[in-house]
Amino acid sequence: MREKFEGIRFKSPEELKEEEIERKIKERGPEGEILGGIVFEEEVDSETGEKKKYVYIGNPYEERPIIIKLETEASREEIEEIKKEIIPMRESFEILETMAMTYKHRQPLLIEGPTAIGKTFLADKFTELLYGRNVKPLDFYCSGQTDVSELMAKWVPKVETEEEKRKWHEFLESPQAQIELSKIAQEVEEKRGWSQEQKLALIHTRLQELAKSIGLSEKTQWRFQYGAVPKAMGLIRNPDGTFSFDEKRGVGFILHIEEVGLAEPQVINALLKLRGKRGKLAEEIQLWENGGKKVKAGPKFWVVFSTNPPEEYLARNEVDPALARGVVFKRMGELSEESLHLAAEYYFTYKLGKKPEEKPEGCILDIYNHPEIGKEIAKVVAVFHNDLNKAFKKGEKGRQQRIPLTLDDMARVADALIDIQIRDKKTGQLDLTETLKRLIHFYYLDRLADEELKEMMKANLNELLEGDTGKIEFEGKVCTRKEIFDILVERASMSKEELEEKERQQKERELRQAKYAAQDALGSLLNNPNIPDSIKEKIKNIQL
Amino acid sequence: MDKEKLNSFIKLLQKSHRISILPSFDLGLIVKEKTSKINNEEIFDEIKKIVPVEKIIYDESTFDEDIISKIIDIFKKNKWIFLEIKKDIQSLLLNQLKHLANHNFLQLIDYKGKDLVQIKMPENCRIIVFAERNFIENKISYPHFYRLFGPTLSIK
Repeated sequence: MREKFEGIRFKSPEELKEEEIERKIKERGPEGEILGGIVFEEEVDSETGEKKKYVYIGNPYEERPIIIKLETEASREEIEEIKKEIIPMRESFEILETMAMTYKHRQPLLIEGPTAIGKTFLADKFTELLYGRNVKPLDFYCSGQTDVSELMAKWVPKVETEEEKRKWHEFLESPQAQIELSKIAQEVEEKRGWSQEQKLALIHTRLQELAKSIGLSEKTQWRFQYGAVPKAMGLIRNPDGTFSFDEKRGVGFILHIEEVGLAEPQVINALLKLRGKRGKLAEEIQLWENGGKKVKAGPKFWVVFSTNPPEEYLARNEVDPALARGVVFKRMGELSEESLHLAAEYYFTYKLGKKPEEKPEGCILDIYNHPEIGKEIAKVVAVFHNDLNKAFKKGEKGRQQRIPLTLDDMARVADALIDIQIRDKKTGQLDLTETLKRLIHFYYLDRLADEELKEMMKANLNELLEGDTGKIEFEGKVCTRKEIFDILVERASMSKEELEEKERQQKERELRQAKYAAQDALGSLLNNPNIPDSIKEKIKNIQL
Repeated sequence: MDKEKLNSFIKLLQKSHRISILPSFDLGLIVKEKTSKINNEEIFDEIKKIVPVEKIIYDESTFDEDIISKIIDIFKKNKWIFLEIKKDIQSLLLNQLKHLANHNFLQLIDYKGKDLVQIKMPENCRIIVFAERNFIENKISYPHFYRLFGPTLSIK
């Protein structure tokens, strides 16, 4: 009897809950489209009995996804809205999953990936998933000119006149500024046994000397300002939704440091302070600017760095190895063609955002209500986007500026297509081909400095839309994209009655053709000498 | 100057996006090509005929903080901004241009006694950045300058 129950066990409530969440994470729609990936749950905290809100994040493309549970301030409705804005591409969930995992473990994350992959967008959405709609992370963008003081802290003189202001700025922009400020930093750091007050007094003295040397008043007053890093460590959300810095009560916030590949070594050195023990973020940092006082990182402080791959920068900036070692390094490749097409389809069938309730001004055809047209446009734009991207990879002639394409370019074309439409003078209907060409020029081609490439891409676009190479099979016939657009626009422009009438006429035509074909067939049977007369008599009686 | 193209460019900037992944508005870029003989003033005057706009010149004599203050002032007047770039964009302004491009707001630390402030770009305001192609290609060190903008108008 005992043997009979071997291998059978009861699942614990936790296990059942896990299975339920996994099922929701992996949920798909009737056409196989991803519906899961992000799940909202309200649960009672077993210790406090308090009701808490959680967001579960997992990669729905995985057979056995790792699911991360995070507490959220967002409501169920907000999570649903945020979810709708994320195109369910495999790459997006891979990034979100990594963000959730590293956030939970307070590990700094660095994502290196091409522009189109959506690093900024997903960092924004991840922040919204935790804090609610429209809450953006504290963003800091690096460039070759990034000043360490903007990241960490600085002393700012209270200048009285425009002349003094000019002098101070000229000093800051001079190479001397870095040297002079480094000297003060070094001197302060060397005074190990000194108290914070003593160090601050020394800083003040040195700053006054500096002020005098650049022509400011000796009595200049100085104001201390924390930069983005300490601010993010100690931010706290106010009841009105705004954020304040509080050295004692601050819980910390999300800091997104973008384009870290462009940062100069001194900026990287400052960022290295964020490395803590066992791969986690530092729990505190020490700054010379405030006399060596430690700034504590709140429990919700988290840093995500992002950068483009080195080949997207002219100078091929690699991420500093020391920084790379101190973070969870996530390398992403190009967006797959499958994802690119999925994004294009989402944009041109207007699945993201609100469709206009009434036809907006400038709109000839409510294209947003015709997904059958959107799907065809998506195919064209995705191909063009991909071709241009490949051309860019080879490098635009004589360019210092890089133009990596983003999905936003495609989204912009889709968005403009709603109400920037050109009318076909012959038919009075929307000239979709011409409209698309114009919009692609504005959003893709006019940035190009290389005239040769621009002309080539224009010709490619024309060929894709109207030439033989762009032809595809459509409803049993081989057509150019322009012909397909014209057919679809004509159908969509018709009223219900007109469409029914057209369908009726088409059916009639088909019926007539079938009748003629049958008559021909019967005629040939009657003329066939091998058919007996008795059968021919019967054939003659057939009514068509 | 192709006025029809300029009108379409302004129209594209005026519209607010419906697709939710995009910021409500775009920043626009006007690039004067090497071959163009059109005067910079002429371009500004043409825009002035279409929308209320004020010009800001970013050159060696200006400081980023002042430019940001001017942007905020013009926002208060609900006008468009024609920002002529004549020197490489420094970190402070670049950061704010990126905030405006990505989120349509300025994100300022320690502004008027507040730790972290977001100043929204009003609905009737837009920013058009104007620069010469040669300048963009040779003087702007930020490699993704073009990415800050939605529509681009190339003036030949």
